[in-house]
Amino acid sequence: MKALNLYLALSFTVFCLLVFSIPVKADGIVVDKVYHPYVLPFEREFEWRLVSHQTDSGNILAQRLGGGGAINDTMALEGYIVGERDDNGDFGLEAYELELRWQLIEQGKLWADWGALFELEKKHNEDVYEATSGFVIEKEFGKTSLTMNAFLVYEWGQDIQNEWESEFRAQYRYRYRSAFQPSLEVYVGEDFVGIGPGFIGLQRFDGQKQLKWEAGFITEISQSEKNHSFRLALEFEF
Amino acid sequence: MTKRLFNRCLCCLLFLSFNAASKEYLIILKDHLFYPSQITIPANKKVKLLIENQDSTPEEFDSFDLNREKVLYPNRKSIIYIGPLSKGHYEFFGEFSPNTARGVVIVGDEEAQHANN
Repeated sequence: MKALNLYLALSFTVFCLLVFSIPVKADGIVVDKVYHPYVLPFEREFEWRLVSHQTDSGNILAQRLGGGGAINDTMALEGYIVGERDDNGDFGLEAYELELRWQLIEQGKLWADWGALFELEKKHNEDVYEATSGFVIEKEFGKTSLTMNAFLVYEWGQDIQNEWESEFRAQYRYRYRSAFQPSLEVYVGEDFVGIGPGFIGLQRFDGQKQLKWEAGFITEISQSEKNHSFRLALEFEF
Repeated sequence: MTKRLFNRCLCCLLFLSFNAASKEYLIILKDHLFYPSQITIPANKKVKLLIENQDSTPEEFDSFDLNREKVLYPNRKSIIYIGPLSKGHYEFFGEFSPNTARGVVIVGDEEAQHANN
């Protein structure tokens, strides 16, 4: 068990050294969602996410609609369509995405809980692809939980310059009540270090039916220009 | 700055990676009831709950207090790791039978497992 702990910690360390050896960068909106490393068998869900990104030059609104579910005890597969409104006010289909979440270890078994995330995205009407892979870890500290995501991204295609990117996300959450769990979130990407408050919560219905919500207001702190992001996510599990 | 802080966090992760042996506590789920419905475990220690679902249908162990969710397959033993926890009462229930399948983990100084049925 100790060996497994060390192996996972070493893997994460090597992965993060690789991630951080590449200048931390990511095109587009860095603020999105902090992933948790858990998958429940039988889970099926619909998800809607919204990110409103306000800068001095205007507002970009991105929405994501998806659905999926567990394919075995430890893996869940989800598909998304992504829509975006640009500075000119045009809203349209932007991309398609396939996402695989993988719970690597039983919750609470090791010092921290481990998961992995793999994503493949294709831009609509453009020859642009993006593959993301990374670690998701979560550690409980009494009534609080620290969740960290470290992602390595590769972009390629005829309409984009091939490049490696990296992203880091973190969420420190106080599990006050199931309906309201305040948090502090950090996002690091290309020329972007954002921090801000958020909250998550859930309401249970019959059986496995439950509605989860997340929101956050992230302010960019590494530059003096205006750069705020508001994110909202609703997830219905059934 | 961010990079340095992150590297320090990684070092902490490496040094703090450990896993103490966990004591086991058996709970039976039968007729949508947990037996025992109350267990007492020591404070600040990680323990292992072995839950045997003797029903013919799956159940989902759920506890916001314990921060755990786990599917209990029928006629199978499932393992749930909990703790280290501070003293207090931590309720749990079965998501598919929330009115009957209910229980509580009591974390105290003295270990007195299977205290109540």
